[in-house]
Amino acid sequence: MKFSGYVKDRIWFYVISCISFGLILLFLEAFRVSVQLVGAISVIFILFVLFEEVFGYFRKKRFYEELEENLELLDKKYLIHEMLEEPSFIEGRLTYEALCDANKSMCENVNVYKRRSEEFRDFIEMWVHEVKLPVASLQLMAHNHRDELGDKFLEQLSRIDGYTDQVLYYARSENPEKDYIIKETSLKRAVSNAALKNREAIQVCGASVETSGLDVNVMTDSKWLEFMLGQFIANSLKYISPGREPVISISAEENDDKVLLHFRDNGIGISEGDLPRIFDKSFTGENGRSYVRSTGMGLYIVKNLCDRLEHSITAVSERGSYTELIIGFAKNNYYKM
Amino acid sequence: MSSSAGLKTDGYCDIMRKDVLNHTENYSEHDTEEIMSRIFIVEDDRSIREELAELLRNSGYEAEYLTDFSNSKADILAARPDLILMDINIPNLNGEQLLKEIRRESDIPVIMVTSRTSETDEVLSMSYGADDYITKPYNPTILLLRISAVLKRSSGITAVQTYNGLQVNDAKGSLTDGNHEMTLTKNEMIIFRFMLDRRGAIVTRDELMTALWDNDEFVNDNALTVNISRLRSKLAELGCEAAIETRKKQGYILR
Repeated sequence: MKFSGYVKDRIWFYVISCISFGLILLFLEAFRVSVQLVGAISVIFILFVLFEEVFGYFRKKRFYEELEENLELLDKKYLIHEMLEEPSFIEGRLTYEALCDANKSMCENVNVYKRRSEEFRDFIEMWVHEVKLPVASLQLMAHNHRDELGDKFLEQLSRIDGYTDQVLYYARSENPEKDYIIKETSLKRAVSNAALKNREAIQVCGASVETSGLDVNVMTDSKWLEFMLGQFIANSLKYISPGREPVISISAEENDDKVLLHFRDNGIGISEGDLPRIFDKSFTGENGRSYVRSTGMGLYIVKNLCDRLEHSITAVSERGSYTELIIGFAKNNYYKM
Repeated sequence: MSSSAGLKTDGYCDIMRKDVLNHTENYSEHDTEEIMSRIFIVEDDRSIREELAELLRNSGYEAEYLTDFSNSKADILAARPDLILMDINIPNLNGEQLLKEIRRESDIPVIMVTSRTSETDEVLSMSYGADDYITKPYNPTILLLRISAVLKRSSGITAVQTYNGLQVNDAKGSLTDGNHEMTLTKNEMIIFRFMLDRRGAIVTRDELMTALWDNDEFVNDNALTVNISRLRSKLAELGCEAAIETRKKQGYILR
Protein backbone atom coordinates (compact mmCIF):
# COMPACT_ATOMS: atom_id res chain seq x y z
CA MET A 1 0.00 0.00 0.00
CA LYS A 2 1.60 3.22 -1.19
CA PHE A 3 1.06 6.51 0.60
CA SER A 4 0.09 8.24 -2.68
CA GLY A 5 -2.55 5.59 -3.26
CA TYR A 6 -3.86 6.07 0.26
CA VAL A 7 -4.02 9.87 -0.23
CA LYS A 8 -5.87 9.45 -3.50
CA ASP A 9 -8.35 7.20 -1.80
CA ARG A 10 -8.93 9.88 0.87
CA ILE A 11 -9.65 12.66 -1.63
CA TRP A 12 -13.19 13.32 -0.30
CA PHE A 13 -11.84 13.80 3.22
CA TYR A 14 -9.47 16.48 1.89
CA VAL A 15 -12.23 18.18 -0.09
CA ILE A 16 -14.48 18.32 2.99
CA SER A 17 -11.55 19.42 5.16
CA CYS A 18 -10.73 22.23 2.72
CA ILE A 19 -14.34 23.38 2.58
CA SER A 20 -14.71 23.38 6.35
CA PHE A 21 -11.32 25.09 6.73
CA GLY A 22 -12.47 27.76 4.25
CA LEU A 23 -15.74 28.19 6.17
CA ILE A 24 -13.86 28.50 9.48
CA LEU A 25 -11.57 31.16 7.98
CA LEU A 26 -14.61 32.97 6.58
CA PHE A 27 -16.35 33.01 9.97
CA LEU A 28 -13.18 34.02 11.78
CA GLU A 29 -12.81 36.87 9.25
CA ALA A 30 -16.45 37.89 9.78
CA PHE A 31 -15.93 38.12 13.56
CA ARG A 32 -12.68 40.04 13.02
CA VAL A 33 -10.62 37.78 15.17
CA SER A 34 -6.96 38.64 15.64
CA VAL A 35 -4.45 37.32 13.08
CA GLN A 36 -2.58 35.34 15.76
CA LEU A 37 -5.71 33.36 16.64
CA VAL A 38 -6.38 32.68 12.93
CA GLY A 39 -2.76 31.48 12.64
CA ALA A 40 -3.05 29.26 15.72
CA ILE A 41 -6.34 27.73 14.61
CA SER A 42 -4.93 27.11 11.09
CA VAL A 43 -1.83 25.40 12.49
CA ILE A 44 -3.91 23.23 14.85
CA PHE A 45 -6.28 22.30 12.05
CA ILE A 46 -3.52 21.43 9.59
CA LEU A 47 -1.57 19.50 12.23
CA PHE A 48 -4.75 17.59 13.09
CA VAL A 49 -5.34 16.62 9.46
CA LEU A 50 -1.69 15.63 8.97
CA PHE A 51 -1.56 13.61 12.18
CA GLU A 52 -4.87 11.90 11.40
CA GLU A 53 -3.70 10.94 7.91
CA VAL A 54 -0.26 9.66 8.91
CA PHE A 55 -1.58 7.67 11.88
CA GLY A 56 -4.47 6.26 9.85
CA TYR A 57 -2.11 5.35 7.04
CA PHE A 58 0.26 3.43 9.24
CA ARG A 59 -2.52 1.67 11.09
CA LYS A 60 -3.95 0.29 7.86
CA LYS A 61 -0.62 -0.11 6.13
CA ARG A 62 0.47 -2.84 8.54
CA PHE A 63 -2.61 -4.96 7.94
CA TYR A 64 -2.84 -4.53 4.19
CA GLU A 65 0.83 -5.02 3.54
CA GLU A 66 0.83 -8.19 5.58
CA LEU A 67 -2.15 -9.31 3.52
CA GLU A 68 -0.43 -8.60 0.21
CA GLU A 69 2.87 -10.16 1.21
CA ASN A 70 1.29 -13.31 2.59
CA LEU A 71 -0.90 -13.68 -0.46
CA GLU A 72 2.18 -13.71 -2.61
CA LEU A 73 4.03 -16.23 -0.44
CA LEU A 74 1.21 -18.68 0.15
CA ASP A 75 0.63 -21.50 -2.29
CA LYS A 76 -2.73 -22.26 -0.73
CA LYS A 77 -4.09 -18.74 -0.87
CA TYR A 78 -7.35 -19.66 0.78
CA LEU A 79 -5.50 -20.07 4.07
CA ILE A 80 -4.65 -16.34 4.10
CA HIS A 81 -6.77 -15.53 7.16
CA GLU A 82 -4.68 -17.93 9.23
CA MET A 83 -1.63 -15.75 8.57
CA LEU A 84 -3.16 -12.43 9.63
CA GLU A 85 -3.59 -10.82 13.00
CA GLU A 86 -7.03 -9.42 13.58
CA PRO A 87 -6.68 -5.68 12.81
CA SER A 88 -7.78 -2.87 15.13
CA PHE A 89 -9.70 -0.76 12.62
CA ILE A 90 -13.22 -1.40 11.47
CA GLU A 91 -12.70 -1.92 7.73
CA GLY A 92 -9.84 -4.29 8.43
CA ARG A 93 -11.93 -6.24 10.90
CA LEU A 94 -14.76 -6.52 8.38
CA THR A 95 -12.34 -7.72 5.71
CA TYR A 96 -10.79 -10.16 8.13
CA GLU A 97 -14.15 -11.56 9.16
CA ALA A 98 -15.24 -11.82 5.54
CA LEU A 99 -12.10 -13.79 4.73
CA CYS A 100 -12.74 -16.17 7.61
CA ASP A 101 -16.36 -16.67 6.61
CA ALA A 102 -15.50 -17.19 2.97
CA ASN A 103 -12.92 -19.79 3.89
CA LYS A 104 -15.27 -21.62 6.18
CA SER A 105 -17.95 -21.77 3.54
CA MET A 106 -15.44 -22.91 0.94
CA CYS A 107 -14.24 -25.71 3.21
CA GLU A 108 -17.81 -26.85 3.66
CA ASN A 109 -18.34 -26.77 -0.06
CA VAL A 110 -15.13 -28.69 -0.72
CA ASN A 111 -16.17 -31.24 1.87
CA VAL A 112 -19.42 -31.84 0.03
CA TYR A 113 -17.49 -32.72 -3.11
CA LYS A 114 -14.91 -34.68 -1.19
CA ARG A 115 -17.64 -36.77 0.35
CA ARG A 116 -19.31 -37.24 -2.99
CA SER A 117 -16.11 -38.37 -4.64
CA GLU A 118 -15.39 -40.68 -1.73
CA GLU A 119 -18.84 -42.17 -2.04
CA PHE A 120 -18.33 -42.58 -5.74
CA ARG A 121 -14.98 -44.26 -5.17
CA ASP A 122 -16.46 -46.61 -2.56
CA PHE A 123 -19.21 -47.47 -4.98
CA ILE A 124 -16.70 -48.19 -7.76
CA GLU A 125 -14.66 -50.37 -5.43
CA MET A 126 -17.76 -52.25 -4.37
CA TRP A 127 -18.99 -52.53 -7.92
CA VAL A 128 -15.69 -53.96 -9.11
CA HIS A 129 -15.79 -56.58 -6.38
CA GLU A 130 -19.37 -57.41 -7.28
CA VAL A 131 -18.70 -57.68 -10.99
CA LYS A 132 -15.86 -60.06 -10.29
CA LEU A 133 -18.36 -62.58 -8.93
CA PRO A 134 -20.14 -63.26 -12.22
CA VAL A 135 -16.76 -63.22 -13.96
CA ALA A 136 -15.46 -65.83 -11.50
CA SER A 137 -18.61 -67.81 -11.94
CA LEU A 138 -18.35 -67.70 -15.75
CA GLN A 139 -14.72 -68.73 -15.54
CA LEU A 140 -15.64 -71.77 -13.47
CA MET A 141 -18.44 -72.63 -15.90
CA ALA A 142 -16.05 -72.34 -18.81
CA HIS A 143 -13.67 -74.68 -17.05
CA ASN A 144 -16.38 -77.17 -16.11
CA HIS A 145 -17.81 -77.19 -19.61
CA ARG A 146 -14.65 -76.90 -21.65
CA ASP A 147 -16.10 -78.63 -24.65
CA GLU A 148 -18.90 -76.14 -25.22
CA LEU A 149 -17.14 -72.97 -24.14
CA GLY A 150 -13.68 -72.78 -25.56
CA ASP A 151 -10.56 -70.78 -24.94
CA LYS A 152 -11.95 -67.84 -26.89
CA PHE A 153 -14.61 -67.50 -24.24
CA LEU A 154 -11.97 -67.43 -21.52
CA GLU A 155 -9.98 -64.88 -23.46
CA GLN A 156 -12.92 -62.47 -23.52
CA LEU A 157 -13.51 -63.06 -19.82
CA SER A 158 -9.96 -62.20 -19.04
CA ARG A 159 -10.39 -58.97 -21.05
CA ILE A 160 -13.36 -58.04 -18.87
CA ASP A 161 -11.32 -58.82 -15.80
CA GLY A 162 -8.46 -56.68 -17.08
CA TYR A 163 -10.70 -53.68 -17.70
CA THR A 164 -12.38 -53.92 -14.31
CA ASP A 165 -8.96 -54.06 -12.68
CA GLN A 166 -8.06 -50.88 -14.52
CA VAL A 167 -11.13 -49.15 -13.09
CA LEU A 168 -10.30 -50.37 -9.61
CA TYR A 169 -6.72 -49.19 -9.70
CA TYR A 170 -7.66 -45.92 -11.36
CA ALA A 171 -10.05 -45.22 -8.48
CA ARG A 172 -7.38 -46.25 -6.00
CA SER A 173 -4.65 -44.18 -7.59
CA GLU A 174 -6.81 -41.03 -7.57
CA ASN A 175 -7.80 -41.49 -3.98
CA PRO A 176 -5.80 -39.34 -1.59
CA GLU A 177 -6.26 -41.82 1.21
CA LYS A 178 -3.67 -44.45 1.84
CA ASP A 179 -5.16 -47.80 0.90
CA TYR A 180 -2.02 -49.72 0.24
CA ILE A 181 0.37 -51.57 2.49
CA ILE A 182 4.07 -51.37 1.86
CA LYS A 183 5.80 -54.51 2.97
CA GLU A 184 8.70 -56.63 1.93
CA THR A 185 7.69 -58.31 -1.30
CA SER A 186 9.50 -60.88 -3.38
CA LEU A 187 9.96 -59.61 -6.94
CA LYS A 188 10.07 -63.20 -8.12
CA ARG A 189 6.66 -63.93 -6.62
CA ALA A 190 5.12 -60.75 -8.00
CA VAL A 191 6.48 -61.40 -11.49
CA SER A 192 5.34 -64.99 -11.47
CA ASN A 193 1.85 -64.04 -10.26
CA ALA A 194 1.56 -61.44 -13.00
CA ALA A 195 2.87 -63.86 -15.62
CA LEU A 196 0.59 -66.65 -14.43
CA LYS A 197 -2.42 -64.38 -14.59
CA ASN A 198 -1.59 -63.46 -18.18
CA ARG A 199 -0.32 -66.86 -19.24
CA GLU A 200 -3.00 -67.57 -21.83
CA ALA A 201 -2.59 -64.20 -23.50
CA ILE A 202 1.20 -64.53 -23.54
CA GLN A 203 1.00 -67.98 -25.09
CA VAL A 204 -1.61 -67.05 -27.67
CA CYS A 205 0.84 -64.39 -28.89
CA GLY A 206 3.65 -66.93 -28.91
CA ALA A 207 5.71 -64.73 -26.64
CA SER A 208 8.32 -66.06 -24.29
CA VAL A 209 9.19 -64.72 -20.87
CA GLU A 210 12.74 -64.57 -19.59
CA THR A 211 13.69 -63.57 -16.09
CA SER A 212 16.97 -63.01 -14.36
CA GLY A 213 18.17 -61.83 -10.98
CA LEU A 214 14.70 -61.58 -9.48
CA ASP A 215 15.70 -63.05 -6.11
CA VAL A 216 15.37 -59.65 -4.53
CA ASN A 217 12.88 -58.34 -2.02
CA VAL A 218 11.58 -54.81 -2.37
CA MET A 219 9.36 -52.59 -0.26
CA THR A 220 6.09 -52.24 -2.11
CA ASP A 221 2.43 -53.24 -2.19
CA SER A 222 2.46 -56.56 -4.02
CA LYS A 223 -1.07 -56.23 -5.40
CA TRP A 224 -0.29 -52.87 -6.94
CA LEU A 225 3.00 -54.12 -8.34
CA GLU A 226 1.31 -57.14 -9.89
CA PHE A 227 -1.26 -54.86 -11.52
CA MET A 228 1.50 -52.66 -12.95
CA LEU A 229 3.36 -55.68 -14.32
CA GLY A 230 0.08 -56.85 -15.85
CA GLN A 231 -0.24 -53.51 -17.64
CA PHE A 232 3.31 -53.80 -18.96
CA ILE A 233 2.64 -57.32 -20.21
CA ALA A 234 -0.59 -56.23 -21.89
CA ASN A 235 1.24 -53.39 -23.64
CA SER A 236 4.06 -55.63 -24.80
CA LEU A 237 1.57 -58.09 -26.26
CA LYS A 238 -0.31 -55.27 -27.97
CA TYR A 239 2.71 -53.85 -29.74
CA ILE A 240 4.52 -56.94 -30.95
CA SER A 241 6.94 -56.44 -33.80
CA PRO A 242 5.73 -58.63 -36.68
CA GLY A 243 9.24 -59.56 -37.85
CA ARG A 244 10.50 -61.51 -34.87
CA GLU A 245 9.53 -63.83 -32.07
CA PRO A 246 8.28 -61.74 -29.14
CA VAL A 247 10.41 -61.90 -26.00
CA ILE A 248 9.66 -60.27 -22.68
CA SER A 249 12.63 -60.07 -20.38
CA ILE A 250 12.29 -59.07 -16.78
CA SER A 251 15.34 -58.50 -14.64
CA ALA A 252 16.32 -56.77 -11.45
CA GLU A 253 19.41 -54.78 -10.63
CA GLU A 254 20.45 -53.85 -7.12
CA ASN A 255 22.34 -50.67 -6.31
CA ASP A 256 23.43 -49.24 -2.99
CA ASP A 257 20.29 -47.23 -2.51
CA LYS A 258 17.74 -48.76 -4.84
CA VAL A 259 16.51 -51.80 -6.69
CA LEU A 260 15.70 -51.35 -10.36
CA LEU A 261 13.21 -53.63 -12.07
CA HIS A 262 13.72 -53.70 -15.83
CA PHE A 263 10.84 -54.77 -18.02
CA ARG A 264 11.95 -55.04 -21.61
CA ASP A 265 10.26 -56.27 -24.75
CA ASN A 266 11.40 -56.48 -28.35
CA GLY A 267 8.28 -54.89 -29.78
CA ILE A 268 7.79 -51.99 -32.17
CA GLY A 269 9.08 -49.45 -29.66
CA ILE A 270 7.94 -45.88 -29.13
CA SER A 271 8.98 -42.94 -31.28
CA GLU A 272 11.21 -40.33 -29.69
CA GLY A 273 8.54 -37.67 -29.91
CA ASP A 274 5.96 -39.77 -28.09
CA LEU A 275 8.26 -41.13 -25.40
CA PRO A 276 8.10 -38.19 -22.95
CA ARG A 277 4.32 -38.24 -23.01
CA ILE A 278 3.49 -41.92 -22.59
CA PHE A 279 2.59 -41.45 -18.90
CA ASP A 280 0.15 -38.63 -19.69
CA LYS A 281 -3.54 -39.20 -19.22
CA SER A 282 -5.36 -40.33 -22.36
CA PHE A 283 -2.20 -40.10 -24.46
CA THR A 284 -2.29 -42.65 -27.25
CA GLY A 285 0.51 -41.57 -29.55
CA GLU A 286 1.44 -43.01 -32.92
CA ASN A 287 1.25 -46.62 -31.75
CA GLY A 288 -2.17 -46.19 -30.19
CA ARG A 289 -3.50 -44.64 -33.37
CA SER A 290 -2.01 -46.82 -36.04
CA TYR A 291 -1.81 -50.29 -34.51
CA VAL A 292 -4.23 -51.30 -31.79
CA ARG A 293 -6.87 -49.11 -30.24
CA SER A 294 -5.51 -47.71 -27.04
CA THR A 295 -7.20 -45.92 -24.16
CA GLY A 296 -4.06 -44.17 -23.01
CA MET A 297 -4.96 -44.99 -19.42
CA GLY A 298 -2.75 -47.97 -18.57
CA LEU A 299 0.58 -46.23 -18.16
CA TYR A 300 -1.07 -43.15 -16.69
CA ILE A 301 -2.50 -45.29 -13.89
CA VAL A 302 0.85 -47.04 -13.47
CA LYS A 303 2.61 -43.70 -13.15
CA ASN A 304 0.07 -42.56 -10.57
CA LEU A 305 0.47 -45.75 -8.56
CA CYS A 306 4.25 -45.40 -8.68
CA ASP A 307 3.98 -41.82 -7.44
CA ARG A 308 1.77 -42.92 -4.58
CA LEU A 309 4.17 -45.70 -3.62
CA GLU A 310 7.12 -43.37 -4.17
CA HIS A 311 8.73 -45.58 -6.77
CA SER A 312 10.40 -43.99 -9.75
CA ILE A 313 9.34 -45.00 -13.23
CA THR A 314 11.11 -44.31 -16.49
CA ALA A 315 10.91 -45.57 -20.03
CA VAL A 316 13.53 -45.98 -22.72
CA SER A 317 12.78 -47.12 -26.21
CA GLU A 318 14.08 -47.29 -29.72
CA ARG A 319 11.61 -47.26 -32.56
CA GLY A 320 11.44 -50.67 -34.17
CA SER A 321 13.61 -52.47 -31.69
CA TYR A 322 12.60 -52.37 -28.03
CA THR A 323 10.75 -50.71 -25.16
CA GLU A 324 12.04 -50.85 -21.63
CA LEU A 325 10.21 -49.71 -18.50
CA ILE A 326 12.17 -49.34 -15.30
CA ILE A 327 10.66 -49.15 -11.84
CA GLY A 328 12.98 -47.98 -9.08
CA PHE A 329 12.29 -49.15 -5.53
CA ALA A 330 14.01 -47.21 -2.80
CA LYS A 331 15.83 -49.35 -0.30
CA ASN A 332 14.99 -48.57 3.22
CA ASN A 333 17.21 -50.27 5.70
CA TYR A 334 15.16 -48.84 8.48
CA TYR A 335 12.45 -51.39 7.77
CA LYS A 336 14.87 -54.25 8.03
CA MET A 337 16.07 -53.51 11.51
CA MET B 1 -4.18 -61.91 -8.94
CA SER B 2 -3.72 -64.89 -6.79
CA SER B 3 -0.85 -65.09 -4.43
CA SER B 4 0.68 -67.37 -1.95
CA ALA B 5 3.52 -64.97 -1.33
CA GLY B 6 2.42 -64.57 2.25
CA LEU B 7 3.17 -68.16 2.99
CA LYS B 8 6.62 -67.98 1.64
CA THR B 9 7.87 -64.63 2.70
CA ASP B 10 6.41 -63.37 5.89
CA GLY B 11 6.21 -64.29 9.47
CA TYR B 12 3.09 -66.37 9.46
CA CYS B 13 5.10 -69.45 8.69
CA ASP B 14 5.42 -70.23 12.36
CA ILE B 15 1.69 -70.28 12.87
CA MET B 16 1.33 -72.37 9.78
CA ARG B 17 3.92 -74.94 10.76
CA LYS B 18 2.29 -75.36 14.10
CA ASP B 19 -0.97 -76.01 12.30
CA VAL B 20 0.65 -78.57 10.13
CA LEU B 21 2.13 -80.37 13.11
CA ASN B 22 -1.14 -80.49 15.03
CA HIS B 23 -2.84 -81.56 11.93
CA THR B 24 -0.51 -84.41 11.30
CA GLU B 25 -1.21 -85.74 14.76
CA ASN B 26 -4.96 -85.42 14.46
CA TYR B 27 -5.35 -86.77 11.00
CA SER B 28 -2.45 -89.12 10.57
CA GLU B 29 -4.82 -92.03 10.17
CA HIS B 30 -6.08 -90.47 6.95
CA ASP B 31 -4.66 -91.93 3.84
CA THR B 32 -5.25 -89.51 1.00
CA GLU B 33 -4.93 -92.26 -1.59
CA GLU B 34 -8.07 -93.93 -0.39
CA ILE B 35 -10.17 -91.32 1.34
CA MET B 36 -11.27 -88.38 -0.73
CA SER B 37 -10.47 -85.08 0.89
CA ARG B 38 -13.60 -83.22 1.90
CA ILE B 39 -13.67 -79.56 1.00
CA PHE B 40 -16.15 -77.16 2.50
CA ILE B 41 -17.20 -74.10 0.52
CA VAL B 42 -18.31 -70.97 2.37
CA GLU B 43 -19.58 -68.71 -0.39
CA ASP B 44 -22.82 -66.76 -0.63
CA ASP B 45 -22.95 -66.50 -4.41
CA ARG B 46 -25.08 -69.47 -5.43
CA SER B 47 -23.74 -69.78 -8.94
CA ILE B 48 -20.12 -69.70 -7.83
CA ARG B 49 -20.54 -72.25 -5.07
CA GLU B 50 -22.34 -74.67 -7.33
CA GLU B 51 -19.76 -74.36 -10.10
CA LEU B 52 -16.99 -74.59 -7.55
CA ALA B 53 -18.49 -77.76 -6.09
CA GLU B 54 -18.72 -79.23 -9.57
CA LEU B 55 -15.11 -78.32 -10.28
CA LEU B 56 -13.95 -79.93 -7.05
CA ARG B 57 -16.01 -83.08 -7.60
CA ASN B 58 -14.64 -83.39 -11.13
CA SER B 59 -11.18 -83.14 -9.64
CA GLY B 60 -11.71 -85.96 -7.19
CA TYR B 61 -12.69 -84.13 -4.03
CA GLU B 62 -15.79 -84.35 -1.94
CA ALA B 63 -17.45 -80.94 -1.87
CA GLU B 64 -20.03 -79.48 0.49
CA TYR B 65 -21.32 -75.97 0.87
CA LEU B 66 -23.29 -73.78 3.22
CA THR B 67 -26.62 -72.39 2.11
CA ASP B 68 -27.71 -70.90 5.41
CA PHE B 69 -25.25 -68.59 7.07
CA SER B 70 -27.05 -68.08 10.36
CA ASN B 71 -24.91 -70.59 12.20
CA SER B 72 -21.85 -70.83 9.98
CA LYS B 73 -19.22 -71.79 12.51
CA ALA B 74 -21.10 -74.70 14.07
CA ASP B 75 -22.20 -76.00 10.66
CA ILE B 76 -18.67 -75.91 9.30
CA LEU B 77 -17.11 -77.59 12.30
CA ALA B 78 -19.84 -80.23 12.36
CA ALA B 79 -18.99 -81.20 8.78
CA ARG B 80 -15.37 -81.93 9.81
CA PRO B 81 -13.90 -80.93 6.44
CA ASP B 82 -10.26 -81.38 5.45
CA LEU B 83 -10.12 -77.91 3.98
CA ILE B 84 -12.32 -74.80 3.90
CA LEU B 85 -12.63 -72.41 0.98
CA MET B 86 -13.94 -69.19 2.45
CA ASP B 87 -15.15 -65.92 1.01
CA ILE B 88 -14.70 -62.71 2.99
CA ASN B 89 -18.03 -61.13 2.06
CA ILE B 90 -20.51 -63.53 3.56
CA PRO B 91 -23.73 -62.77 5.41
CA ASN B 92 -23.74 -62.40 9.19
CA LEU B 93 -20.19 -62.70 10.39
CA ASN B 94 -17.69 -61.69 7.75
CA GLY B 95 -15.14 -64.23 6.57
CA GLU B 96 -12.26 -62.80 8.56
CA GLN B 97 -14.23 -62.89 11.79
CA LEU B 98 -15.46 -66.38 11.01
CA LEU B 99 -11.91 -67.51 10.36
CA LYS B 100 -10.84 -66.08 13.70
CA GLU B 101 -13.67 -67.95 15.43
CA ILE B 102 -12.82 -71.21 13.68
CA ARG B 103 -9.14 -70.85 14.55
CA ARG B 104 -10.04 -70.74 18.23
CA GLU B 105 -11.30 -74.28 17.99
CA SER B 106 -9.71 -75.93 15.03
CA ASP B 107 -6.65 -76.07 12.81
CA ILE B 108 -8.51 -77.07 9.65
CA PRO B 109 -6.64 -75.53 6.70
CA VAL B 110 -8.47 -72.50 5.30
CA ILE B 111 -7.98 -70.86 1.93
CA MET B 112 -9.55 -67.43 1.63
CA VAL B 113 -11.11 -67.04 -1.81
CA THR B 114 -12.37 -63.55 -2.28
CA SER B 115 -12.97 -60.78 -4.78
CA ARG B 116 -11.28 -58.22 -2.58
CA THR B 117 -7.98 -57.39 -4.20
CA SER B 118 -6.17 -55.66 -1.44
CA GLU B 119 -3.04 -56.24 0.51
CA THR B 120 -4.84 -55.24 3.72
CA ASP B 121 -7.35 -58.06 3.43
CA GLU B 122 -4.65 -60.54 2.59
CA VAL B 123 -2.42 -59.53 5.49
CA LEU B 124 -5.38 -59.57 7.85
CA SER B 125 -6.55 -63.00 6.68
CA MET B 126 -3.09 -64.48 6.97
CA SER B 127 -2.67 -63.07 10.45
CA TYR B 128 -5.98 -64.64 11.47
CA GLY B 129 -4.52 -67.96 10.39
CA ALA B 130 -5.53 -68.52 6.76
CA ASP B 131 -3.26 -70.90 4.88
CA ASP B 132 -3.55 -69.17 1.53
CA TYR B 133 -5.33 -66.26 -0.09
CA ILE B 134 -6.68 -66.30 -3.64
CA THR B 135 -8.54 -63.53 -5.42
CA LYS B 136 -11.51 -63.93 -7.71
CA PRO B 137 -11.71 -64.42 -10.57
CA TYR B 138 -9.14 -67.15 -10.39
CA ASN B 139 -7.86 -69.58 -12.89
CA PRO B 140 -9.51 -72.85 -11.73
CA THR B 141 -6.31 -74.78 -12.39
CA ILE B 142 -4.40 -72.47 -10.07
CA LEU B 143 -7.07 -72.87 -7.42
CA LEU B 144 -6.74 -76.66 -7.65
CA LEU B 145 -2.95 -76.39 -7.44
CA ARG B 146 -3.21 -74.29 -4.30
CA ILE B 147 -5.76 -76.64 -2.75
CA SER B 148 -3.59 -79.67 -3.32
CA ALA B 149 -0.53 -77.82 -2.01
CA VAL B 150 -2.31 -76.84 1.19
CA LEU B 151 -3.78 -80.31 1.65
CA LYS B 152 -0.39 -81.87 1.10
CA ARG B 153 1.20 -79.58 3.66
CA SER B 154 -1.48 -80.22 6.23
CA SER B 155 -1.49 -83.99 5.83
CA GLY B 156 2.29 -84.02 6.13
CA ILE B 157 3.03 -86.44 3.32
CA THR B 158 6.78 -86.91 3.15
CA ALA B 159 8.67 -85.92 0.06
CA VAL B 160 9.70 -89.42 -0.88
CA GLN B 161 7.14 -91.37 -2.85
CA THR B 162 7.41 -94.29 -5.09
CA TYR B 163 6.39 -94.92 -8.67
CA ASN B 164 6.59 -98.44 -10.05
CA GLY B 165 9.38 -99.27 -7.61
CA LEU B 166 11.21 -96.01 -8.31
CA GLN B 167 11.98 -93.77 -5.36
CA VAL B 168 11.10 -90.15 -5.97
CA ASN B 169 13.37 -87.73 -4.18
CA ASP B 170 12.04 -84.18 -4.40
CA ALA B 171 14.89 -82.53 -2.55
CA LYS B 172 17.53 -83.99 -4.87
CA GLY B 173 15.25 -83.90 -7.87
CA SER B 174 15.98 -87.48 -8.80
CA LEU B 175 14.46 -90.91 -9.42
CA THR B 176 16.21 -94.05 -8.31
CA ASP B 177 15.54 -97.76 -8.59
CA GLY B 178 18.16 -98.65 -5.99
CA ASN B 179 20.97 -99.15 -8.49
CA HIS B 180 20.68 -96.24 -10.87
CA GLU B 181 19.92 -92.68 -9.98
CA MET B 182 18.43 -90.50 -12.69
CA THR B 183 18.54 -86.75 -12.18
CA LEU B 184 15.59 -84.82 -13.54
CA THR B 185 15.72 -81.15 -14.48
CA LYS B 186 13.53 -78.80 -12.46
CA ASN B 187 10.92 -78.72 -15.22
CA GLU B 188 10.84 -82.49 -15.62
CA MET B 189 10.48 -82.89 -11.86
CA ILE B 190 7.56 -80.44 -11.73
CA ILE B 191 5.83 -82.29 -14.55
CA PHE B 192 6.50 -85.72 -13.07
CA ARG B 193 5.38 -84.67 -9.59
CA PHE B 194 2.18 -83.18 -10.97
CA MET B 195 1.36 -86.31 -12.94
CA LEU B 196 2.28 -88.59 -10.06
CA ASP B 197 -0.17 -86.80 -7.78
CA ARG B 198 -2.86 -87.38 -10.38
CA ARG B 199 -1.73 -90.82 -11.46
CA GLY B 200 -4.19 -92.58 -13.71
CA ALA B 201 -6.15 -89.44 -14.52
CA ILE B 202 -5.86 -87.24 -17.59
CA VAL B 203 -3.58 -84.28 -17.05
CA THR B 204 -4.07 -81.50 -19.60
CA ARG B 205 -1.26 -79.54 -21.16
CA ASP B 206 -2.89 -76.46 -19.72
CA GLU B 207 -2.60 -77.84 -16.20
CA LEU B 208 1.03 -78.79 -16.69
CA MET B 209 1.75 -75.37 -18.07
CA THR B 210 0.08 -73.71 -15.10
CA ALA B 211 2.07 -75.87 -12.70
CA LEU B 212 5.33 -74.94 -14.45
CA TRP B 213 4.55 -71.21 -14.56
CA ASP B 214 3.50 -71.33 -10.93
CA ASN B 215 7.07 -72.45 -10.20
CA ASP B 216 8.61 -69.57 -12.17
CA GLU B 217 9.36 -71.74 -15.18
CA PHE B 218 7.85 -69.70 -17.99
CA VAL B 219 8.09 -72.35 -20.67
CA ASN B 220 6.28 -72.18 -23.98
CA ASP B 221 4.36 -74.83 -25.84
CA ASN B 222 7.35 -76.32 -27.64
CA ALA B 223 9.44 -76.50 -24.51
CA LEU B 224 6.67 -78.41 -22.75
CA THR B 225 6.60 -80.98 -25.56
CA VAL B 226 10.38 -81.32 -25.38
CA ASN B 227 10.30 -81.66 -21.59
CA ILE B 228 7.69 -84.38 -21.75
CA SER B 229 9.54 -86.40 -24.36
CA ARG B 230 12.77 -86.11 -22.33
CA LEU B 231 10.92 -87.24 -19.22
CA ARG B 232 9.54 -90.16 -21.21
CA SER B 233 12.94 -91.32 -22.34
CA LYS B 234 14.40 -90.92 -18.85
CA LEU B 235 11.59 -93.06 -17.44
CA ALA B 236 12.19 -95.58 -20.20
CA GLU B 237 15.86 -95.75 -19.27
CA LEU B 238 14.80 -96.70 -15.75
CA GLY B 239 12.69 -99.48 -17.16
CA CYS B 240 9.28 -97.78 -17.28
CA GLU B 241 8.42 -98.00 -20.95
CA ALA B 242 5.29 -96.18 -22.08
CA ALA B 243 4.81 -94.64 -18.67
CA ILE B 244 3.26 -91.50 -20.10
CA GLU B 245 0.40 -92.07 -22.46
CA THR B 246 -0.71 -89.31 -24.82
CA ARG B 247 -4.41 -88.70 -25.28
CA LYS B 248 -5.07 -86.74 -28.44
CA LYS B 249 -6.47 -83.28 -27.73
CA GLN B 250 -6.90 -84.09 -24.06
CA GLY B 251 -3.54 -84.48 -22.43
CA TYR B 252 -1.43 -87.13 -20.81
CA ILE B 253 -1.89 -89.99 -18.39
CA LEU B 254 0.78 -91.40 -16.14
CA ARG B 255 0.26 -95.14 -16.07
